[in-house]
Amino acid sequence: MNLDQALATYIAESRDLLGEMEDRLLHLEQDPLDGDAINALFRAVHTIKGSAGLFGLDYVVVFTHVVEHALDKVREGELTFDAELIAVMLSCRDHIDALIEHVSACGTVVPEGELPARGEALLDQLRQRLLTQASAGLPVDAESHRTAEVESCGREVSGDNWHISVRFGQDSLRNGMDPISFIRYLGTLGEVVSIVTLFENLPSFKDIDPEACYLGFEMSFKSAADKETIAGTFDFVRQDSLVRILPPHSKLSDYLSLIQMQDPASDPKLGDILVNCGTLTRQELHDALAFQQRTAADTEDHVAPPLGEILVGHRLVAEEAVNAALQKQQQIRENKARENLYIRVLADKLDHLINLVGELVIAGASANLLARRQGDKGLQEATSRVTHLVEDIRDQALQLRMVEIGDTFNRFRRVVRDVSLELGKEIELQIDGAETELDKTVVEQIGDPLLHLVRNAIDHGIEPATVRIAAGKPAKGTVSLNAYHDSGSIIIEVADDGGGLNRDKILKRAIERGIVTPEQNLDDRDIYNLIFEPGFSTVDQVTNLSGRGVGMDVVKRNITALSGSVELDSQLGAGSVVSIRLPLTLAIIDGFLVGVGGSFYVVPLDMVVECLELSAEERKSALERNYINLRGEVLPFLRLRDLFRENGKAGRRENIVVVQFSGRKAGFMVDELLGEFQTVIKPLGKLFVNLQGISGSTILGGGEVALILDVPALLQMAANKEMQVTAPFARAVATL
Amino acid sequence: MAKTIMIVDDSASLRQVVSMALEDAGYAVVEASDGKDALGKLDSHKINLIICDVNMPVMDGITFVKELKKLPNHKFTPVIMLTTETQDAKKQEGQAAGAKAWVIKPFQPAQMLQAVSKLILP
Amino acid sequence: MEALFELHGNVHTLRVKGDMTIYTAEALKTHLLNALCVSNTLEIDLSAVEEMDSAGMQLLVVVKREAQRLGKKLSLVQHSPATMRVLDLFNMSAYFGDPVIITARQA
Repeated sequence: MNLDQALATYIAESRDLLGEMEDRLLHLEQDPLDGDAINALFRAVHTIKGSAGLFGLDYVVVFTHVVEHALDKVREGELTFDAELIAVMLSCRDHIDALIEHVSACGTVVPEGELPARGEALLDQLRQRLLTQASAGLPVDAESHRTAEVESCGREVSGDNWHISVRFGQDSLRNGMDPISFIRYLGTLGEVVSIVTLFENLPSFKDIDPEACYLGFEMSFKSAADKETIAGTFDFVRQDSLVRILPPHSKLSDYLSLIQMQDPASDPKLGDILVNCGTLTRQELHDALAFQQRTAADTEDHVAPPLGEILVGHRLVAEEAVNAALQKQQQIRENKARENLYIRVLADKLDHLINLVGELVIAGASANLLARRQGDKGLQEATSRVTHLVEDIRDQALQLRMVEIGDTFNRFRRVVRDVSLELGKEIELQIDGAETELDKTVVEQIGDPLLHLVRNAIDHGIEPATVRIAAGKPAKGTVSLNAYHDSGSIIIEVADDGGGLNRDKILKRAIERGIVTPEQNLDDRDIYNLIFEPGFSTVDQVTNLSGRGVGMDVVKRNITALSGSVELDSQLGAGSVVSIRLPLTLAIIDGFLVGVGGSFYVVPLDMVVECLELSAEERKSALERNYINLRGEVLPFLRLRDLFRENGKAGRRENIVVVQFSGRKAGFMVDELLGEFQTVIKPLGKLFVNLQGISGSTILGGGEVALILDVPALLQMAANKEMQVTAPFARAVATL
Repeated sequence: MAKTIMIVDDSASLRQVVSMALEDAGYAVVEASDGKDALGKLDSHKINLIICDVNMPVMDGITFVKELKKLPNHKFTPVIMLTTETQDAKKQEGQAAGAKAWVIKPFQPAQMLQAVSKLILP
Repeated sequence: MEALFELHGNVHTLRVKGDMTIYTAEALKTHLLNALCVSNTLEIDLSAVEEMDSAGMQLLVVVKREAQRLGKKLSLVQHSPATMRVLDLFNMSAYFGDPVIITARQA
């Protein structure tokens, strides 16, 4: 892997972490003492900073360092999250985001101008905050939290002090290494709270070698220094002496949480985990491993005791720490195993694969057709088996592109928070169906329209608190995002419990704008959906949220471009729901193939309800009007032959394909029913962009082109035609 | 009375920097340019600690330590050897001769002060 | 290092002058051994001790222990500041159990 690739990985990784930061911060706004969230936040910044160092991104390191420091203070309970700190942290997150964008664009080139200025301003705010709260002392909550932590560690033997045991080697004094020096030196690192001098090794008066050292010490030592530093005191006597340093209990819980937080890239070793968290020094680990090897060599079967056992047995590390590290090791291995199940693939490669699968589906269909024509039983069996496999492959390939919509939804938490703050409204975002999967392309393109709908709901939907209270509603408004699958489509709903739409106002405005005429007979639903017409706006008060250049008509256009549809339902005083219906995938559909004249058309299968053959009598009566009687129900229908001006000779029979879409039914009159057919959608060229009623094309096994029907658009046409007949005075809205 | 440290190194500039750092920290310093020079100056001062380079002309550090260990009045004086990272064998040799402390060259004055203060405080 | 051995009544006093360090440890051991041999009640006068290190302190521990074993009385008296510092650092004053008098001059 070269550095560029590694940098790309770093950028992707950082973006993920920034996403997590945002989630955690928003969560902490609700629950400021959630230790998990605080740790996760710290870890995210820590990781971004740590890797930035590797790439020489000093400007990222400088900024994240202070943020990390502040978060560390939060972890230690010296700083607590309140609305202000959350706001600053969110801004810091955004700034890191901007820095990462800068990395992505310019690499290690140090940014100039506004970006560093903004960063400096944020750092000032943080530092200010660190100063004021530090002098204010520990908040009560954090204090009680800490005590709880110490207690949870169990026994509390020597207060909150380090415990140091030393047995000096006999040659120490002769080498000029006097215990007095080391104990005095410890005094420069902290305070020797108590000391017990041991002389159990001291021989009798006659036997004593007065130049040898027989002393040992047990000390209780209070110090903020880390273990490496404290152990460093004894560097010069380590070789001949026995030194054991056990951390204070508060430190132990630090180690335990540090162990929890470690995120080593590869299979971690127990010793490394303990060294990294600071409870074990490199030298101690080195010695323990050497001891382990010696022991192995001494035993007959060359089996050495586990390292953890040695470390605890030699009092190098507290048993709790070893257990925590072992657990962490296990956890990392499991995660690793899980991680290995995922690989990151370039989206382009996946698209190419799906294209190929699409071609394979067509080629398979072609082989099937030919086999049937040949009448060779064996060949037919073989091709049908291939067809099954291809179907499976198609399903699997499409599955690869499916992603959960949850991430997209979660992005709106921030939007809701920021926008409602800006407007002074209190609004909660409720998310349902986050696990609903849909095509990656669709997810990517649905973000903007959703954003607009959510902003709209907050801005125009939810009333000010005073109005809400007066209406007997809770002061806090709710905007909800919901997603679910419905017959081959995904439905995404943006709902609010606001004031709802004013039907009469909309109608009045629409008439003013010439979108509809006063004579038109429109039901409530039609009227509500007028807001999606170009150039419609009901806002009395212009807020700075409007004027983003995106109107509801653009939302509709974007969704239509994804072969989706959008509808709005509303109840005055109770709120509105915007439902977006989208195809699960844009690449392949199951279609129903029909023949009209000499041409082929495909109806998306999930919209087909049934097929009917018309009797001669029905055909006759159908000639005079645009609807038939379907078991007592009026079913409007369209003659595809007339609609698409097919000239080929009419078949002996005529059939009706009954389709249904979002509650509406209609029939398509066709010549031949050719059955189910898998089809790869080929988008129509720009030339055909204005062609109504057609959403795409596909190539059949025999090489013929079939057009894919745009059922929603056709349904609208059928409804209008019906209206022309049943309400002859109404003006036709849409004509072909 | 201030503790006295002898610094034995053939580089005058090194001796100067170390002397300044040690004097600022409150130690008295005696300088010697090689092992032989150092042995000659031992009796004129009460030396509490010796900092000694391994590689020196006239008498190298290891030989000096071996000689030091023969002197009844000085043999227990702690010695900090100055080694480079590539001189691991020399370090072993020095330790075997009785110089158990060491500082790796190049070092910052602060590192030297830290090593010294583990053995004697001013 | 010098050691002056005196008898006042039935109390022997060993007055140590100079350093009680590793350099003088061998000699000191001999002095202490001899003094303990002939005394039933021995006082070690530390007022003239200029320096003491771990080797010196060790010897004091060993002689105290030996005295106890032999059922003799041994006490440390007139601690000089140098000896006080070491005994305090090692938290050994209580072990010897001798009253420590700090004279105005020493303080």
